[in-house]
Amino acid sequence: MIRRVAGAAAGVALVAGLSACGGSSGGDSKTLTFWMYQDRTPQAGQVVEKLRSGFEKANPGVSLKIVKIPKDDYNTKLGSAIASGSVPDVGILDQPLVARYALDGTIAALPAGVIDEKTYYQGALDTNRVNDKLYGLPVDHTCVALFYNKTLVPTPPKTWDELLATSEKVHADNPKVAGMVVPKGDGYGAWMWPGVVAGNGGQMVDLKSKKILWDQPPAVAALQLWVDLMKSSPREITDSDQAFANGLAGMMISGPWDVATIKDQFPDLQFSVAPLPYKTTPAGNIGGEDAVVFSKGKNADLAWKWLAFLGNSTNNTEFAQAMGGFPVNVAAAERDASTFGADQAAFLEQLKVAQSRPPLPQWIQINDEVIAPALEAALSGKSTAQQALTDAAGKARALLGWTA
Amino acid sequence: MKSARLIPVYICLVVLALISIVPFLWMLSTSFKHGSDVYTKVPNLLPVDKKTGEFAPTTENYDYVLQIGGLGKAFVNSVWVCLILVPAKLLVDALAAYAFARIPFPGRDKIFAVLLAGMMIPTITLLVPRIFVTQSIGLFDSQWGLIVPNVASVLDIFLLRQFFLSIPSELEEAALIDGAGRMQIFWRVIVPLSVPVLSVVTITSFIFHWNDLVWPLVVLNDPDKYTLPLALQQLTQTESGRAYYIMAGATLAVVPVIAVVMIFQRRIMQGIAFTGLKT
Amino acid sequence: MVSPVLADKPTATTEPGRHSRRPGRGRRDHLVAWLLITPALIYFVGFLLYPALAALYYSFTDWNLRTTPDWVGLANYKDLLFDDAKYPHFWQSIKVTLQYTIIAVPLTMVAALVQALLINAIRRGSNLFRLLLFLPVVTAEAAVGAIWRWLYDPQYGLVNAVIGLVGIPKQNWLNTPELVIPALAFIAAWQCGISMIIYLAGLKGIPSSITEAAIIDGANPWQRFRRVTFPMLRPTTFYLLVTGVIAALQVFGLVYVIFSGRGQSVTGGPEQSGLTYVLHLYLYAFRYDAMGAACAMSFILFVFIMIITVLQFKFVKQEAS
Repeated sequence: MIRRVAGAAAGVALVAGLSACGGSSGGDSKTLTFWMYQDRTPQAGQVVEKLRSGFEKANPGVSLKIVKIPKDDYNTKLGSAIASGSVPDVGILDQPLVARYALDGTIAALPAGVIDEKTYYQGALDTNRVNDKLYGLPVDHTCVALFYNKTLVPTPPKTWDELLATSEKVHADNPKVAGMVVPKGDGYGAWMWPGVVAGNGGQMVDLKSKKILWDQPPAVAALQLWVDLMKSSPREITDSDQAFANGLAGMMISGPWDVATIKDQFPDLQFSVAPLPYKTTPAGNIGGEDAVVFSKGKNADLAWKWLAFLGNSTNNTEFAQAMGGFPVNVAAAERDASTFGADQAAFLEQLKVAQSRPPLPQWIQINDEVIAPALEAALSGKSTAQQALTDAAGKARALLGWTA
Repeated sequence: MKSARLIPVYICLVVLALISIVPFLWMLSTSFKHGSDVYTKVPNLLPVDKKTGEFAPTTENYDYVLQIGGLGKAFVNSVWVCLILVPAKLLVDALAAYAFARIPFPGRDKIFAVLLAGMMIPTITLLVPRIFVTQSIGLFDSQWGLIVPNVASVLDIFLLRQFFLSIPSELEEAALIDGAGRMQIFWRVIVPLSVPVLSVVTITSFIFHWNDLVWPLVVLNDPDKYTLPLALQQLTQTESGRAYYIMAGATLAVVPVIAVVMIFQRRIMQGIAFTGLKT
Repeated sequence: MVSPVLADKPTATTEPGRHSRRPGRGRRDHLVAWLLITPALIYFVGFLLYPALAALYYSFTDWNLRTTPDWVGLANYKDLLFDDAKYPHFWQSIKVTLQYTIIAVPLTMVAALVQALLINAIRRGSNLFRLLLFLPVVTAEAAVGAIWRWLYDPQYGLVNAVIGLVGIPKQNWLNTPELVIPALAFIAAWQCGISMIIYLAGLKGIPSSITEAAIIDGANPWQRFRRVTFPMLRPTTFYLLVTGVIAALQVFGLVYVIFSGRGQSVTGGPEQSGLTYVLHLYLYAFRYDAMGAACAMSFILFVFIMIITVLQFKFVKQEAS
């Protein structure tokens, strides 16, 4: 009896499912569904709407539907949507996911002739490159730089030695104030750290020879720098909500999005932004958004056209600013650089030397589960920088199947 | 004499009650504070201007989270979902519970045992396949996708069945002899006698679904359809570092539940004592 | 879950409904019964049985949600348990979860019992106190997380201000590995309202004659509690222990909310000290693209909970005999 009922119920579900499928896939009017992060501000929403209607006007008969999803839930939701078969046609994709999605055929490679590669910044374009092919287009890029409290830090440090000395001085002058909000051994800190390694001429991995490089001297010194900074930057100060903005820390590393937030919320704080201090080479890491075309989506031609539209010299500045980053179109960036304001100059400077993450499909897991704990082990003093990074390299080799 | 002995008891209770409600009071006061006034060296339970020291509550945080933070829309969505889901679930559960309790039919106890075994499966196990089922019946990313996949609860069926079993069968037999149908008996005999347990099931399922975060998180994409906990979670992420906005949002999520608990507290306490419910 | 209060309710064999069978109604009655349970059964098959079987199948596959699942047999289970390189924090997540369970469950129960005893001792105002102590438990996890993150702030938080009054130095609650679990357990104890109500019902169920007899025997309040009240509450305590352990093993929403935001990914707090089993599972399902392994984790949890439930019934039987 149970079996019969179960069968009947499954039958009902099946019929309902079939009819649902039949309903959704019909129609030959050209519609395009684009997924992106939720607007950061109401103004950003207006910009997106303007671009959307502009694209529809330029392409008669096309209707573009934009689905906006909060950034932190985006990957979870995209994963469930893909698994359940309801893929968007085109959408924003987190930089480290591009390699993964490209390798299993979820997203399509860029056809020839859609764009001229020379019109984009290489660093931003490279975040889409997997096995020498582009699997998406950047829509904006961004980076982190050094925020400093002008009252506590009159001149921003340029080198690691100056950074360390500045931090020590700030904390020595007032023990209740930390020198710097040192990044932590979590996913976010692990994301920033490669930029510091690059500032010492180091690299995270060598893809060609399948070698881990973050246990080498340049990287170890980069971690040692953070460890040394901790002495003048106690966590019970820096872990407080908005420690830098409240004047409890002399410096912090953050992105352009924080400039407006702090100005708006703490109008009295005197602060500015400088490029990240370095040891041998000015460097940093690149962030920002890529956009990809899904293999199972419809109207791929139109989808690429839309992404090229977002990246062209007319529109890219507006869209990139709406996303909270900078234009990836060289012409747009050069034309509009002066309009971003003095605070943003440091980020633009930093972007020129920004490097992208290794395009490994397992990178997020390595970032969270291998590198982050290693950084934390060293920062908390439970292990030396060298030991922590050597252990982490071993773990990553096992995970990637690379030999020592 | 006796009341003097109770003074330490009252003191303990007041301390415990303070621990219990001060977080709410702080949430409330923070939600009425201006920008950087929340950052004071000595925590202040009143919304006081940091510079002038004057009492200066503001409602602009509420304006912001309701309009721009989307909590106004989310509030309406949550109310709408609960208004449909909670009664529908109660009906489905009560009807099934009645059949399991009162109508002898072949295989009944076996089916019931299978249902009970299903109760032990951790929810997280079911999460992803449930998304597929929801998708295949066309309800992914819709508010019905919050309602249909939650429209029954084995636990509630079990509790209602236990209660129905305790109702004397003589009442029902009399009605049967009078020629009443099963449905008439259900509505005229069983339901009126079961108001306490029906109300506790209603209230607890309201609280559960009003607060539920994980299922809406995976099923809804369109922020226009978000329920309150999801919108609040989203607010804590985008506005992190603006405690006054977050606390205003939290207040909006918490107040309706507190109101329901206050209004129905007698029923709830009795119900929990009876069912041993653990949400 | 059933409370001890229910234990003496009629069981299936003695239930009155059984004897109401009347000749001639049978067939129609069966039809009506099937109609009544059909909606619930469809739900059961569609949203419980099928998902459970599907998850079991996925647990034997390698699957990233995008491509078709690849059958790998028991590899996920084997790797989870033994391959430290592939799943570096699987055992850590078990350790965290057990630590949480060992601290949070007893703390919650003690808090609940103390509150229930205090409320039971008074008459005037007992409803008010019961209500106030109950409120935290009905609060949405999203709100609880937001409120407590703010309360635990090392510089501006109320918790540090309060402990400062008694001379304890400021603590960095949510960012010190050793303090994360106690901080989370305190939130759990703060939300002990339901256990408190159940204890209160248990206390009301103790016949006053027994307590009075103890008073006549000259027992002081502590002795009365040790020798009379607590033994009488044993079934309640046992029930709360088991349901509490099962719930604690699955703790997720609170840690997810507490450790998310600030633009950083949820990786389980400082040194993974807040990486609970289900949070770890969630990360593998939705962040690291390993749905097959995540399903395997969920079945390992299921088996664990089954074992606890079976043990519970064994214990209960022993208690009864």
